[in-house]
Amino acid sequence: MKTLQHLLFFLTMLISFHCKEERKEEAAEKKPVSSDTISNLVPEVPGGNSYAQVDISPMDMSYFPVDYPKIKMANSAAPPALARVVYSRPHLQRRRLFAGILKYDEPWRLGANESTEIELYKDATIQGKKVKAGRYIMYCIPHQDAWTIIFNNNIDTWGLKQDPAKDVERFRVPATSGNPPLEYFTIVFEKTGMGADLIIGWDDILVKMPMSF
Amino acid sequence: MKKAPIVFAALIMLGYTASSQTSLPEIDKSPLDMCYYPSEYPQLKTQAKSIEPAVARVIYSRPKKEGRPVFGNLVEYGKLWRLGANEATEIEFFKPVVIGQKKIAKGRYTLYAIVNEKSWTFILNKDVDIWGSFKYKQANDVVRVEVPVQTMKDQVESLAMTFDKSPSGINLMVAWENVKTELPITL
Repeated sequence: MKTLQHLLFFLTMLISFHCKEERKEEAAEKKPVSSDTISNLVPEVPGGNSYAQVDISPMDMSYFPVDYPKIKMANSAAPPALARVVYSRPHLQRRRLFAGILKYDEPWRLGANESTEIELYKDATIQGKKVKAGRYIMYCIPHQDAWTIIFNNNIDTWGLKQDPAKDVERFRVPATSGNPPLEYFTIVFEKTGMGADLIIGWDDILVKMPMSF
Repeated sequence: MKKAPIVFAALIMLGYTASSQTSLPEIDKSPLDMCYYPSEYPQLKTQAKSIEPAVARVIYSRPKKEGRPVFGNLVEYGKLWRLGANEATEIEFFKPVVIGQKKIAKGRYTLYAIVNEKSWTFILNKDVDIWGSFKYKQANDVVRVEVPVQTMKDQVESLAMTFDKSPSGINLMVAWENVKTELPITL
C-alpha cells in the first residue's frame, strides 16, 4: 500500500512538472531565447554582481590527458597536454533532450554562451584525417544514430552563426541512447588504446569521437 | 515491491538520478567563466559588428562568498592566492602588451595575486595548464605589479573579472566582497 502511495505521489509530481514545463515553453516562444538554456534560475544570491553576472549555464573545461592540470601540479616535468575543450553546460531542468531542446538534423552549438572551443596542443588524427594543432570552435548536427561534429575556424565567437566557409573538418560519429541520464551537458575526454575518445553526453545520449595524437 | 521499477523510472524521468552519475564530471561549485577585451568580443564578432581585434582573454573560476568574510580570512593577507578556484586562472594576450613597464609577449600565462589590506600584488607566471597555486614557482614569474585596493559600497557575491578601457590601454578589473583592484595593461 505504501508503495502505491509513493507511486501516486511521483505520478502527481510528474504531471505537475509537465504542466510547468509547458508553461515554460510557452514563455520561451515569446522571447527569442535559445532552447538549450532557460532562464528560470537565479544563480546569484542577493547582493548580485554588477560586474559579471554568474552564468545560468556555467562554463567548464576538460583536458586530455584527463585532469591534466592536476597531473602537472603533481609533476611539473609531465609532458605537455594534448587537447582541451572549453564549453558551457546547459542543463535539462526537467526537459528531455529531443523534446524541446534539440531537433534532429538541425545544427547545435554544443554548449551555451561563448562558442565551444577545442584546442589541440599538437596535431591530431580523427577518422584518418589530420587536424592541425590550434584552436577551433566545435558545433554539431545531431541525427538519430549519429552526430556530425564540425571543427570550424571562426574562433572567439558566441553561440553558433554558421559559416561553412570556415569549417575545417566534419566527422560523423555514432550516438547511442538509453545511457544513464546526465542533467548537465558534458564534454570530456576518455583515454583509449589509440589516444582518446571525445565523449559528448546529455540526457541519455552519448556520442564518442575517437582521436589519436 | 513490484512497483519499485516504476518508481525508479519515474525518478529517472524527473532527473533525480542525474547527480549520482558515473565518472563524468559534476558541475563545479565555483563555475568557470571567461572575459575578453574588447568586452563581449565573441558577441560583437558574431554579430559582425566592426570592432578592434581581440586583445586579451581571461579564463577563471568564480568562488562565492556564501556569507563568509573573504579578504583577511578566506583569502589570507600576505599569502599567494590563485585568484579564482580549480584550474589556475589563465590570461591570454592575442598581441604583445606592456605590464609594469615590462614587455609581455603574446601568449598564455597564469595569473595569481598576493592580497593585502591596502594593496595587491598581481603575478603573471609562465606555468600554464596547471591546477591552483599549490605548485607555484616564483622562478617562472614574468612580472609582478603592486596596485592599490579600492573599497566598494556594494558587495560582490561571486569573484568577478572584467576588462575596462583606460587612457593607456586597458585595466583588468577584479572584484569580490567589497574590494576592487585594477591591473593596468598598456597597449
